[in-house]
Amino acid sequence: MEYLIHLAILVSIYAILALSLNLAVGYAGILSVTHAAFFGIGAYATAILSTRYDVNFFLALVVGAALTAVASFLIGAVLSRFRGDFVALGSVGFNMIVWSILLNWQELTRGPLGIPGIGRPELGIWNIEYSFSSNFSFLLLALCFLLLVYLAARFIERSSFGRVLKAIREDEEALEVFGYKALHYKLAIFTIGAMLASVAGALFAAYITFIDPSTFTINESIFILSAIILGGLASNKGAVIGAVVLILLPELLRFVGFPSDIAAQTRQAVYGLMLIVLMLYRPQGLVGEYKL
Amino acid sequence: MDIVPQLIANSLIAGSIYAILTLGFNLTYASAKFIDMGFGVMTAIGGYTVFYVSKTLGAPLWLGLIAGILLSGFVSFLAYTFIYKPLRARKSSGAVLLIASLGTLTAVQAVIAILFTSQFQTLSGLLHGNRVFELFGAAFTAVQLSIFCVGVLLFLLLAFLLKKTLFGKATVAIGDDEEVAKIVGIDTDRAMGRLFFLSGAIGGLAGILIGFDTGIEPIMGLPWLLAAVVAAIIGGIGNIYGGIAGAFLLAFAENFGIWKIAGEWKAAIAFGLLIIFLMWRPQGIFKR
Repeated sequence: MEYLIHLAILVSIYAILALSLNLAVGYAGILSVTHAAFFGIGAYATAILSTRYDVNFFLALVVGAALTAVASFLIGAVLSRFRGDFVALGSVGFNMIVWSILLNWQELTRGPLGIPGIGRPELGIWNIEYSFSSNFSFLLLALCFLLLVYLAARFIERSSFGRVLKAIREDEEALEVFGYKALHYKLAIFTIGAMLASVAGALFAAYITFIDPSTFTINESIFILSAIILGGLASNKGAVIGAVVLILLPELLRFVGFPSDIAAQTRQAVYGLMLIVLMLYRPQGLVGEYKL
Repeated sequence: MDIVPQLIANSLIAGSIYAILTLGFNLTYASAKFIDMGFGVMTAIGGYTVFYVSKTLGAPLWLGLIAGILLSGFVSFLAYTFIYKPLRARKSSGAVLLIASLGTLTAVQAVIAILFTSQFQTLSGLLHGNRVFELFGAAFTAVQLSIFCVGVLLFLLLAFLLKKTLFGKATVAIGDDEEVAKIVGIDTDRAMGRLFFLSGAIGGLAGILIGFDTGIEPIMGLPWLLAAVVAAIIGGIGNIYGGIAGAFLLAFAENFGIWKIAGEWKAAIAFGLLIIFLMWRPQGIFKR
């Protein structure tokens, strides 16, 4: 049972990541491969604030989201200068830079040692005090966040803002002619997506209670991208389905009994092959509406 | 102690590797018009083939070198034939091709890691001594000298190939307009297959050289690919000669940059240089 709860928490966290990446890739057509960087900034902000300055989880989460907003706005502005698909490569470069900062800025992040002993979230309003220390209560918290993010994504999709984004994705020049500043719209959605990813990062740090840079590599970004491509771009349901499938599928490998390094590499090989097969036979994913 | 000659030597060596990689990348980008991320992993294929053939099996080094270059070229050719060719025939967008090539990169590097573990390996043990030369106060090894020479030779060879041979003319024609090239009777499929083979082989060669100079690991592909792409954008994307200039500019910026800043920021320096170019000269040094 504990194991199932553990999987459900991971699925919720990755579903938040997938939903938030889908905002940028699916709705705005920004081919971003740097989501793990924002995930990492959120996780590290929460970890550092709560272990070193004893800041409450929920406050740390907000600060982390604000930091991520600044970082993603700046990088989004830079990425917007890239021509066409080179955005993807620029974002890969940004992910590598963030990772190398996490690894090398030892005074702040403790480098490869990682940050242990991150506390579980505690809630203290008026006289009600509650700590999400059991895994089941944490699952409920994660599901609440997932629901909020899902509703936010759905709201954005159905708002006029979302419609403009989709139109920009289809024909940027036409929308410019109509007087929409495509750059502003793209930057806004990129920043929103990054902030939501940092929320997932905060949850991840508080759940695992230990983080190190190895979680926030480019492979993680590719993994999240695979999830939304599998589920289908520009579909919130698809993003959740993709995250569920990609988290649960490799768990089956666990029962086959590979050594852990080989199992990890096998997963990577499967993701890679899956991307190729999807591009060849079903570029819109399982339930997606947008074909790249 | 004057460090400048050493920095210049280091820049020339790093620049040669970048130049070789950029040549390989530009070759397919100029004609196929999509970003082949799978090109990065060809470095690992080349390096690990030499590692396997010459170190594990104990075959002579020249055999390992040939096997490494041919195998990386062949894998690149296979990726084109079975993945990129059908996608291009279907008029898939650049993003689809890019993601498919990202899949190739991820899958192949994972397979290499399963076969050889993800540990860092070095090829320099295969050489009997690596002499150190000194020139104007700059020290460099025999391997590094040969990297520079290979870079120059490869450049001359490619320039000859593109200018003088029928294959080169076909390549240039495809780069200008694939449809028209087809109409005037160029077998574009065959030329493309050869181009991908050539590009993969160049990537493999670069990986082998990197393996002798520093070392190889399965995930080496992506960082080297990024460096090649940065150099290509700086030089003017798809422009083979511009790419060389971009490669050396990038190498000089990085090596002189880490003179004053800590070495961990090397990637950030490359990115910074790229941003400067994207802001003020997005078409690169030489326009295509």
